[in-house]
Amino acid sequence: MRTSLNNIKLVDDYLLGLTSPQDNLLLQAKVIINPALNEDIYWHKQTLSLVQQYSRRQLRTEIESVHNQLFTRPEHLSFRQSILRFFKR
Amino acid sequence: MVKTVNREQWLMELYKSAFPAVAKYVARLGGSLEDAKDVFQDALVIYYEKAVAGNLSANNDKAYLLGIAKHLWFRKFNEGNNTSALQDELLNIADNADEHVSNSKVLQYLASAGKRCMELLSALYYDKVSVKDAAEQFGYAGERSVTVQKYKCLEKVRDTVKQQSLSYADFIE
Repeated sequence: MRTSLNNIKLVDDYLLGLTSPQDNLLLQAKVIINPALNEDIYWHKQTLSLVQQYSRRQLRTEIESVHNQLFTRPEHLSFRQSILRFFKR
Repeated sequence: MVKTVNREQWLMELYKSAFPAVAKYVARLGGSLEDAKDVFQDALVIYYEKAVAGNLSANNDKAYLLGIAKHLWFRKFNEGNNTSALQDELLNIADNADEHVSNSKVLQYLASAGKRCMELLSALYYDKVSVKDAAEQFGYAGERSVTVQKYKCLEKVRDTVKQQSLSYADFIE
């Protein structure tokens, strides 16, 4: 892989806690030589956090769609009625 | 463990088997259907993340989901009171999902401009799909191609996030 991708792999492994002590030393050395790498680490972290948020939204959308199916489709009528019964007073 | 393709079906089964008990519990304590829905959906997110991470030992989906939902309900109606640290740790998972509202513009952008990369990264990092399965799912020649693509995507998304963030002043956390 080209150098920039190898650096991304190193940063990714580091942020995921997969690096060995030697790798950590290597990363520290690289940061000293190239301080811009610190910025890459920051943005990489933001990226992983965005991937998580993106994924959770997708999951929540699917969950909501399942809920809507259960509460609108005719084949789920008895399920729906059994739930609604709990909330009648 | 859970393949994305089957996920909706898996969620449907969990909904049908576990939601009635949660609804009954919430109703008995004076909550509404909307309350039951909220805590159950948060519980499903937590449950899913634990399942794909391999952190579930029990096979009783229903009991586990009810347990999480009860904790969530308990906290929802005891806000202000101090709950135990363990519960807080558990529940933070669900809470975090809707934070970072300021990131929504960047997310919106990525969902359209970088959809394929986001889907791949989502499968690998969130759904914990193996590289081998991801190759099949996304139509790559092999594991090596997926790995290279993963790093290319990380680079692309990272650069996009950086660029977009600097143009949206509201992004910086």
